[in-house]
Amino acid sequence: MTLEDIIQETKTFYCLECGKCSSICPICRYDPNYSPRVIVENALLGLESDLFHNGELFSCLTCQACQLKCPSDVNYPIFIQKMRLMASNDGQQGECAHSGALQSLVRLMSNPDITQRRLEWLSNGYRTSEQSDILFFVGCTPYFDPVFEDLGFQVTDVSRGSLKILNYFGIEPMLLPNEKCCGHDMLWMGDVKTFQKLAEQNAAMIKESGAKKIIFSCPECYRTFKEDYPNYAKIDCELQHITEFISGVIEENGIKFKELKKKVTYHDSCRLGRHLGLYEPPRKVLQAIPGIDLIEMKQNREKSLCCGTSAFTNCDLYSKQIRVERLLEAKETDADILVTACPKCQIHFRCAMVNKGEEKGPDIEIPVTDIVNLVANALEGENNE
Amino acid sequence: MNGNGYRKIGVYICHCGMNIASTVDPKKVAEYAMTLDSVAIARHYMFMCSDIGQELIENDIKELGLNRVVVASCSPRMHELTFRKVCERAGLNPYLFEMANIREQCSWVHSDSKLATEKAMALVRAAVRRVFFQEPLEARDTPVNPNALVIGGGIAGMQAALDIANAGYEVVLVERDTSLGGHAMQLSGTFPTLDRADCLISSKVEEVASHPMVKLHTYSEVEEVSGYVGNFTVKIRNKASFVDGQRCTVCMLCSDVCPVSVPSEFELGLAQRKAIYAPHSSAVPARLTVDSQACQHFEGDQCHACQEVCPTQAIDFSQKDTFIEEKVGAIIAAPGYDLLPRERISMYPDDPDIIDGLQFERILSYSGPTLGEIRRPSDGKVPKQIVFIQCVGSCDPEHGVPYCSRVCCMYVAKQALIYRQVVPEGQAYVFYTDIRSDAKGFEEFVQGVMAGGSVLYLRGGVSKVFRDGDKIKVWGVDTLVGQEIEISADLVVLALPMVPRPGTNELVRKLNIMSDKYGFLSEAHIKLRPVESLTAGIYLAGAAQWPRDLPDTIASASATAAKALTLISKGKVVLEATVASVDESYCLGCGRCEEICEFHAPKISKNGLPLPTASINEVLCKGCGACAVSCPTGAITIKHFTREEILAEVEALAGV
Amino acid sequence: MSDFEPKIVAFACNWCAYAAADLAGTSRMSYPPNVELIRVMCSGMVDPIYVLRAFEMGFDGVLIAGCHPGDCHYISGNLKAEERVQALQRLLHTLGLEDGRLRLEWCSTAEGEKFATTVTEFVAKLKELGPSPFRIREEAVA
Repeated sequence: MTLEDIIQETKTFYCLECGKCSSICPICRYDPNYSPRVIVENALLGLESDLFHNGELFSCLTCQACQLKCPSDVNYPIFIQKMRLMASNDGQQGECAHSGALQSLVRLMSNPDITQRRLEWLSNGYRTSEQSDILFFVGCTPYFDPVFEDLGFQVTDVSRGSLKILNYFGIEPMLLPNEKCCGHDMLWMGDVKTFQKLAEQNAAMIKESGAKKIIFSCPECYRTFKEDYPNYAKIDCELQHITEFISGVIEENGIKFKELKKKVTYHDSCRLGRHLGLYEPPRKVLQAIPGIDLIEMKQNREKSLCCGTSAFTNCDLYSKQIRVERLLEAKETDADILVTACPKCQIHFRCAMVNKGEEKGPDIEIPVTDIVNLVANALEGENNE
Repeated sequence: MNGNGYRKIGVYICHCGMNIASTVDPKKVAEYAMTLDSVAIARHYMFMCSDIGQELIENDIKELGLNRVVVASCSPRMHELTFRKVCERAGLNPYLFEMANIREQCSWVHSDSKLATEKAMALVRAAVRRVFFQEPLEARDTPVNPNALVIGGGIAGMQAALDIANAGYEVVLVERDTSLGGHAMQLSGTFPTLDRADCLISSKVEEVASHPMVKLHTYSEVEEVSGYVGNFTVKIRNKASFVDGQRCTVCMLCSDVCPVSVPSEFELGLAQRKAIYAPHSSAVPARLTVDSQACQHFEGDQCHACQEVCPTQAIDFSQKDTFIEEKVGAIIAAPGYDLLPRERISMYPDDPDIIDGLQFERILSYSGPTLGEIRRPSDGKVPKQIVFIQCVGSCDPEHGVPYCSRVCCMYVAKQALIYRQVVPEGQAYVFYTDIRSDAKGFEEFVQGVMAGGSVLYLRGGVSKVFRDGDKIKVWGVDTLVGQEIEISADLVVLALPMVPRPGTNELVRKLNIMSDKYGFLSEAHIKLRPVESLTAGIYLAGAAQWPRDLPDTIASASATAAKALTLISKGKVVLEATVASVDESYCLGCGRCEEICEFHAPKISKNGLPLPTASINEVLCKGCGACAVSCPTGAITIKHFTREEILAEVEALAGV
Repeated sequence: MSDFEPKIVAFACNWCAYAAADLAGTSRMSYPPNVELIRVMCSGMVDPIYVLRAFEMGFDGVLIAGCHPGDCHYISGNLKAEERVQALQRLLHTLGLEDGRLRLEWCSTAEGEKFATTVTEFVAKLKELGPSPFRIREEAVA
């Protein structure tokens, strides 16, 4: 694969150099060295040394804000993805956060000969079954728990909340006891070899399970299965985010939720929002809960601001500035709770609020919760946590 | 040194005579080393640490232009410094050097030659890979203020101040009370020679007060301390005394007319003082002080009886507390002790003739409330029967403190001896559990007191003490004869334990040092570093650290002064080279580093970036790596122990 | 496997554990050559990535050796190491790795014998457990 191939595949040659991408890019706003337009120009000029040796390729959040603005429909995120693949063949990778521990974990997980113990978060009271049409894809939450212990929440609560909701609606889904990471981060950082192994293993396990529909609580897993897996492994199932599922049930049957008197604001994650176009289902769900007053942030839906870090890589001062911007926006709505539909967004927002130093910085404290946990608390007749 | 990744590595395998060579094949390891990436030369020799061995390396560096060196031999704890010096002599930065331990951790512990040699090759491979990533480092230094702050003007503080001042360095001495001397000024004769304490101490007080290198602040307190070793900034509060020290002649006319009398702190309640007062007649600085809590003027009474009689108009009720800032290099904390409050030991009732050891010192003292005549507080009569009770509240985990207060056995013996001398017809009894008399001349002194008549030592405890008319009844037991004892005493003296002086807690907080569960100041290491705190640049002296008598206190104060002098005499502090460093562009300002560091090196502050970020104080950093691991983005790295370097070692050891 | 020789990497702190390993050497104690040491200044300097990468690279066991609690040259680095090892144990457990492949030991400067015994026992235990499940596919390594 050459630079020319990438340009052709992603239609980058249509670029008008208008700079609208740079104008909306959140990284460009804070990082004086990064500009999507400059990167595209360098590619079109064939300036490989500039592209591959200054690390800027890995600064992109792949949030797709640029693609929405681009009048020529340049697929910048995929362009970046492929450029990173080229870079990684050359031994490069971005600056992995947490010293690369999460990436190392995924590589270890991709080993086909291991048998994980990844369902220990499943306590009594949650019902799953060995045979069902519906499979719930858990994602990496059991691995996030020990890594993000100091953020004051258990990421597996998202998985538990999702199961509670599914159980409430009479669904006892299958869970893959040896589920592998969807590989989202690997793909976006250019490690296609590992991604392929993960995709193939997941596809094989899903096929063997006989599942007809997969429900996700993580938009990254969902996007990866929907948009990226088809090029690598065959998944013959209907795919749905849990908010789609809940909003579907609301439409069909109408649900009576308990009253929850709270002002909330909702953060559209990049993957659920711009990548998959799902803005309304989470809002339908929130508005169906009596007492919930949903106030929109200034930048919402397609205009939503990314949570600041992608693929646990290149997390830096600029990421923090983006998060501060977003959290200040959330606080401006005067909401009691910031609701997200992506566990990684929640992790990044909570991390931004860690403030143990002498100098405190701007006040960005606001309670954050996943939409499934909010909904789980509003289910009628349930003894809620 | 090439900055573009070009490495020329020299590898040297030592035989160490037969120590390594008998199990590990040095020739084979050297041949293997030549196959490794970027290795320009690989040699093996009998004794790499010998002159010839060292020359080999030095010459190769110079002639072959080596920019990295690996020596595979003994433990780096043995010879890392030796070989680093070789590099330095040859003009190569000493941190571009790595050792592989193929003796203590290979040839000496493994018997299979083949496996040992393979392991040596792996260790060399790891060292070569690691040295590839090492960067040159410079050992830096930072200037040190050539002066010291001494907190506490008692005997410990004064001794330390004198030692430092006599060495030619300026001392800022801050004393909370109105005059110097502390508790030592209250003592009478001191054991074992019975020299008068107030004479001994007065000479020190005079020396300190008149020393050209001592800046004295009495009636002052340390408000705030900031900074770090060599560069402390101290804010001192000079409390208003309402008397102009330059004008006051200590004529005492004011004190004569003052209508307010309160118990004297110096006389421990055995006498009164006025609201305008000097604690005792030889107080230095020579100046009276107005106690604003007692003085009627401050209660809206507008009394100015003292002002009216003062011949020099020295009294000024408008005085306010003032603040001074001093910059110092070292700090010595000597805040002193007090006795355990009587109320803690409830079995001894509150009675004017049941007093503690310090109060009895005032009675014995020629400058005390009874001018050296031994008279009891209630009616001034000369006590003919005195009971001393040792271990009142010490060695007593239930009611008092579990530790031994060390000085009581000796001072009780001394007090009994003085009593015998002054009241030859009197009889003293001493109830004791142990006699601890372990220093120079101590045991002989106590034996002398015991044998000299009119002092009866009774081994046993006391069960009840109560007033009966004009006597104090003491019920106790003599365990050596197995009898219960009742004594009708005129005066009872309790030997209470020393405890840290009130206010020590706040001082500990301000200085950011540690104290133990009793509140005593904690030393860095009880055996090896007994006069330093764990905070660099702050040292400890005197009884604030543990109960101590005068000889111990003076010795400890001089030791502390010596430590402080080693810091401030060099003019600079050499910093660790292998410290943490921050790439601020990766910093989230989360403060995890600041929270985790025991040495207060990382701090989040506004550094001119859009958000607060971390910076490392290299003077305080010890290079332990805790902060680097806590950093979620990898913004912090430890020089010479970077993640890159260690991961390179791991991968090399794995054979990748 | 009777001829399986486990590969162990050990992180030893400069002040205690590394010195203990040296003492085992000067005392001419004997232990199997399966372990290779990396010197760190403090057990609290061991980043979880070192352990994970070691398993990625095919090591069968990882040993972290530091000072006894209360003796750390940097006051509490060893306690931080203990917390991190606990988190790592959870991660490795979830990955399906057998318990016992990651070990944390306290070893003071004077405990040369303890160091030698620890290594010997660790090698024996790993021989029982067999090769690391991550070792078999060595091309899994990035």
